[in-house]
Amino acid sequence: MTGDDVLLRVEGLKVHYPIRSGLVLDRTVGHVKAVDGVDLEVPRGRTLGLVGESGCGKSTLGKAILRLAPVTEGSVYFDGTDVATLKGEKLRTMRRHLQMVFQDPLASLNPRQSVETILTEPLKAHGIRYDKATRVRELLDQVGLPTSAALKYPHEFSGGQRQRIGIARAIALEPQLVIADEPVSALDVSIQAQVLNLLDELQERLGLTYLVIAHDLAVVRHVSDEVAVMYLGGVVEQADSDALYATPRHPYTKALMSAVPVPDPGVEARRERIMLAGDLPSPADPPSGCRFHTRCPFRQETRCHDERPQLRLLAPGHRVACHWAEEIEAGTVRPHEVTAQEVADLQGS
Amino acid sequence: MSIPMMPAGPGGPGDPGGPGDPATTMLEPTATEHGTSLWRGAVQRLRRNPAAIIGALIVLAFVVVAIIAPLLAPYQPGTGEWAGQVTPGKVPGPSDEHVLGLDSFGSDMLTQLLYGARQSLVYGVVSTAVGLVVGASLGLLAGGFGAVGGRFGKAVDTLVMRLVDIMLSVPSLLLAVSIAAVLGKNAYAIIIAIGVAQVPIFARLLRGSMLAQGRSDYVLAASALGIRKRRIVMSHVLPNSLGPTIVQATLNLATAIIEVAALSYLGLGEGNPAVAEWGRMLVAAQDRFAVDPRLAIYPGVAIAITALGFTLFGEALREALDPRSRR
Amino acid sequence: MTRTTGTTGNHPGREPLLAVRDLRVEFGLRGQRSTQAVDGVTFDIQPGEHVGLVGESGSGKSVTSLAVMGLLPRRGVRTSGEVRYDGRNLLDLGQSAMSKLRGRDIAMVFQDPMTSLNPVVTVGVQVAEVISRHNDVSKKEARDRAGDLLKRVGIPDPVRRLKEYPHQLSGGMRQRVLIAIALACNPRLLIADEPTTALDVTIQAQVLEVLKELVAETDAALLMITHDLGVVAGLCDRVNVMYSGRIVESTTRDVLFSQPRHPYTGGLLRSIPRLDSPRGEPLHAIPGSPTSTLPWTQGCAFAPRCERVVAACTDQPPALTDEGIRHVRCHHPLEPTDPVTDARSEVAR
Repeated sequence: MTGDDVLLRVEGLKVHYPIRSGLVLDRTVGHVKAVDGVDLEVPRGRTLGLVGESGCGKSTLGKAILRLAPVTEGSVYFDGTDVATLKGEKLRTMRRHLQMVFQDPLASLNPRQSVETILTEPLKAHGIRYDKATRVRELLDQVGLPTSAALKYPHEFSGGQRQRIGIARAIALEPQLVIADEPVSALDVSIQAQVLNLLDELQERLGLTYLVIAHDLAVVRHVSDEVAVMYLGGVVEQADSDALYATPRHPYTKALMSAVPVPDPGVEARRERIMLAGDLPSPADPPSGCRFHTRCPFRQETRCHDERPQLRLLAPGHRVACHWAEEIEAGTVRPHEVTAQEVADLQGS
Repeated sequence: MSIPMMPAGPGGPGDPGGPGDPATTMLEPTATEHGTSLWRGAVQRLRRNPAAIIGALIVLAFVVVAIIAPLLAPYQPGTGEWAGQVTPGKVPGPSDEHVLGLDSFGSDMLTQLLYGARQSLVYGVVSTAVGLVVGASLGLLAGGFGAVGGRFGKAVDTLVMRLVDIMLSVPSLLLAVSIAAVLGKNAYAIIIAIGVAQVPIFARLLRGSMLAQGRSDYVLAASALGIRKRRIVMSHVLPNSLGPTIVQATLNLATAIIEVAALSYLGLGEGNPAVAEWGRMLVAAQDRFAVDPRLAIYPGVAIAITALGFTLFGEALREALDPRSRR
Repeated sequence: MTRTTGTTGNHPGREPLLAVRDLRVEFGLRGQRSTQAVDGVTFDIQPGEHVGLVGESGSGKSVTSLAVMGLLPRRGVRTSGEVRYDGRNLLDLGQSAMSKLRGRDIAMVFQDPMTSLNPVVTVGVQVAEVISRHNDVSKKEARDRAGDLLKRVGIPDPVRRLKEYPHQLSGGMRQRVLIAIALACNPRLLIADEPTTALDVTIQAQVLEVLKELVAETDAALLMITHDLGVVAGLCDRVNVMYSGRIVESTTRDVLFSQPRHPYTGGLLRSIPRLDSPRGEPLHAIPGSPTSTLPWTQGCAFAPRCERVVAACTDQPPALTDEGIRHVRCHHPLEPTDPVTDARSEVAR
């Protein structure tokens, strides 16, 4: 994992959506800061997991990397090229190398196209020569679908099979990077493992690089080499997957991990909970200083509310955006109770 | 946040459709090599719907009658051959020679009705076709640019739709009167007036569904795949947006036929009062309505049944094309 | 098989609060092929007991709860069997008797709080309405009690929230309001249908905590309907696992998680990626999808997906056999000694 084999590098990426108001004049009255200054690196052939709750900007970040959401500021270097500045035909041809798997497999497949058309359309669009029957069979085979699926339509499949079609479409162009946005959360529990295994298998076979976006920490942890935790438009912690789960250093990560229900009564009874109070603040009016300070059980009187913490390297490969990470680690800064009332007051909602 | 346990497809309370239904079994490929496309599925659903069958039969009967009217009609239309038998107080009723009697101009009522179907069909279809072609083109332009065109596209969309808004603000009756004033009283005035009045309906409908489809995930997926914008519009957005427009066209055929009659009734259509046209026949009947309601009832019922047929079929089509009705 | 201590499937001598016997629900409008959504479901809920009803989409778990509450549409639905509550069969009760019972004796919390609340009426009015419908109190008193309730479910600034409309509240707060409404009249049974599925993990943890506390406080029994075994592990005394309309395994929580006998239960437990399990290996996926079932009349519905399938499985339907500590419906169940939870000694933090 050396620096020069980074396939995707995101630098200072911002996606701000204008909030418009007014009946006659379309005035911009503010911005929703969906993504607000994110730096990421994904080494070739590896998987970066992006985890966070709804509204944290993880999906928007994924879309912005693919130029499916407007980039307000920052760069997205893919294999050395800044994708964020590409336009027109250059951008279109670049798309070949970056693909996406969507959350809702039914919504992301055109209901009026047969599987065969769905899989060959991208090949045509990029002028790739192919033998229809062979290529379609190959793709279906790679995702574990029978050849007979080729002439059917999306609505004739089950959820898991639809997601397989979506994955087959994503790999049809032989991309280098695949961004999977909640690839299993719309699927039944017993199907999720199948799709996760398939993603793993394809990575190995095709040497793919993944950015997996999900709200489910267990899913992200399972598929990722490295994990970045997002809160309200920014990355608060990034580390090797095992290290992050073994020693989470950011208070939000700690809380997030302790909130996930574990299917084991013994664990459920024993584990310590860090219960977060209150709701996520609005990304249109994010808190000053540390975005998390309104709900943080470790909040201190100084710095937290007026100084935005930057990601700092705390241990090899482990970066945390918290002013007090060392003190929390050492136990000199202790958690205190935060009531929902306090959070509401701080967030002014 | 996702809802993993809920199926993406249809489902009433607790998704009664799912469990144990061998029809949805997908583990093994079924014998059918070809899948069922949405259009084909819609046709299958139509064939199972009694309202659709009734509607289709009425429409079919209407079209057949319109086409072969010369073969069915016992006499020539609009001749006034038996005008001598018509007195101010009385129009001869059904007899052996004239099954439905005469009209107030002394032509055979049955003949007039049969040829009237022809007029109505031509006026209705042509005017709706005019509305559909012009309206859908404007809608496609606005919706296509609006859905995938970015900032420039939004401007095109806005421009086209303001134009359509202006058309919408002109009452269709006023429009018909104005056109008639320019072109004189003839069939074209009616066709253009009714057609133009339909343009905004089709334009707004198609644009609306295209914009909605433009926000869907599969369109996003198509852009991510690097499919060209024109193809995204023509083969992704448009086919998925046509359903409501087609339904509306069917329903509009019904209203168009009524409007043809209405405009004729107001004296804006065909100049010759004796011509076989249902609206005209109503006009002619109104003087004698108190003494001889038969004269109004025949064309009135003909209009009503035809409109009913198109409406039944249109509504059934709407149901069949609705993805939620898929099972 | 020896009996373990604690609650088991049978409680000789004690009258259950709710006894569901051979409940069947068949859907089918005229002209359509009917489907058996619930196919002979039998279970008990003791006073104050927390029972989980677990299954995937199409398992019939939600339909079961709706049938118990008498909330299934009358048209095109055939319900048979018995839902015994307080010596009465709820399936025989008329609309008005049932609606008197609902809210006062049995309350329900749904998955989507937005559609369960009236969007044009303030929260305060909706909570107070339930209180005054089932209690003889003045308008003012009902309003005061509504404020207290909101406070109890952890809504900050309850006085202000009473005057707000549902859309002004966050998803987590709306779900709290629903819980407040459900518990307004101290019901003896609370049915919660996926109450936290639509919520983020940290909010889910809050809501589950509130639910747990309030149910304990009011001594109500709880029927928790969920797909999430993690939620069950933290909340339920006893668990019924449903598959394709029938209960396939029913036992105490601890027995279920430590030694599941039904291959479906075992498969589910193994297929879920866990925060505290070693990563890197492929997940143990259950093949096929929940829609690929065999009709129960021909054999075991799970047979097409089962790795332990034997000839009997596709030959005759398995019966629910009483093993003392559990009931299981399987011809070839897992041995209690079979490893299910592999070395997961490390406790999630």
